[in-house]
Amino acid sequence: MSHASRVSRAPTAVFWLATLLGLFAIPLSLAKNHSPAQPANSTPPLRIPSDVAWTQETLTIISSGDSFRGLLLARRCNHCHGEEGFSSVPAYPNLAGLDRLSFWKQVEDFRSGKRISPIMQTIAEGLAARDSADLAAYYALLPTASDPLENRAFPQPMQDPSRATIAIRLIVFGDGQRGIPPCQSCHGPVSYVKGAPRLDVQNGTYLAEQLDHFSNGSRTNDINVRMRSIAIQLTAEEKTALSECYGAGLGPGANSR
Amino acid sequence: MKKRIGFVAAMAVVGLAFLSIRYYEVDLPIWHLLGGGKGLDPATLHLRGEFVESNLGAAEGPAGSVTVRMIAQQFVFVPQCIVVPADVAVTFRVTSADAVHMLSFLGTNYGLRAVPGEVNQATFTFTKPGEFKVPCHEFCGAGHYAMRGQLHVVPRDQFASLLPGERRTCEPR
Repeated sequence: MSHASRVSRAPTAVFWLATLLGLFAIPLSLAKNHSPAQPANSTPPLRIPSDVAWTQETLTIISSGDSFRGLLLARRCNHCHGEEGFSSVPAYPNLAGLDRLSFWKQVEDFRSGKRISPIMQTIAEGLAARDSADLAAYYALLPTASDPLENRAFPQPMQDPSRATIAIRLIVFGDGQRGIPPCQSCHGPVSYVKGAPRLDVQNGTYLAEQLDHFSNGSRTNDINVRMRSIAIQLTAEEKTALSECYGAGLGPGANSR
Repeated sequence: MKKRIGFVAAMAVVGLAFLSIRYYEVDLPIWHLLGGGKGLDPATLHLRGEFVESNLGAAEGPAGSVTVRMIAQQFVFVPQCIVVPADVAVTFRVTSADAVHMLSFLGTNYGLRAVPGEVNQATFTFTKPGEFKVPCHEFCGAGHYAMRGQLHVVPRDQFASLLPGERRTCEPR
């Protein structure tokens, strides 16, 4: 009797032992080659568009910004970007209501020289890492409603209101044949992606300039060539239409505002 | 004897079932805890690794094999226009920077999913020269329907050999 029970128990014990020992063997061997081997090609010189990456650490730094300290710091921005975040010069961007991530990224890119601007690079170098998060928090809070007492360039009437059709079409539908996604799917209000600023309260002249810079390669700080590959496909007329339409507060109807 | 064979077979079935359950419920979770399947951080593709922007596009290996590296992201493929030679095995290496996307080469039977955090690799041979649309075939967000790339398949003799560090796309620049 004891003999029979020993015979039947032995394989079971071996089975359990093997199962327990193998518990870590399979996942460990899997973890070593989890991605297919990379073919050996010599790589071209590394070009990094921006040092900013949307990692958890970056998001923590940005979200820890103090808007009150940002308000105090913003006095040095008021001269160009307006006391309420709306610039009086149409070539300077409005900062009111800009989300924290895109504000912070541009300041960091000015600081690291990834985005070229003789004025802003000097100013960004004078800011501490904490300052840009504070400023980002402050400008994100500013209201975008129109203020008749303030001298703001936005909105400006469209030069040619008939171009609004082209612009609205691109903003709402994009152009699938050319692979141009709708502007509103990243820049709002339909949906946003990280680092894409809102454009509905932005100055048209500034937007036209940036679209040109993206398409001719003088601005290259967009992560993964996203904006460059779109801007390069836009015709000159479409660029004008888009920037005028956004600069008029989305459409010719905004002229009366 | 018959009874014993039946018993062993039953034990084998139970053992196999046990092992497969163990694989999915124990091994794969441990593998993920150990960092498996997270080989690539979608947030830092542009900083390091093989998907930096200077390395995207078609590259030629030493034996004349062509490798195309692409990023799919909301809502463009990068590079948006790929050019490959016909009748040559082309290896695509694709990853995503945000959501799940899918390349589907219209006019051919080929397709490839782009998954954040992973490199998906497949080797295709395009026999027919021409221009093919490459729409995104996996719903990825508000701009999904306008997310579309292009594939240009050119005859082998028109696809000039690439230098070791050279990457080729057909983007208008």
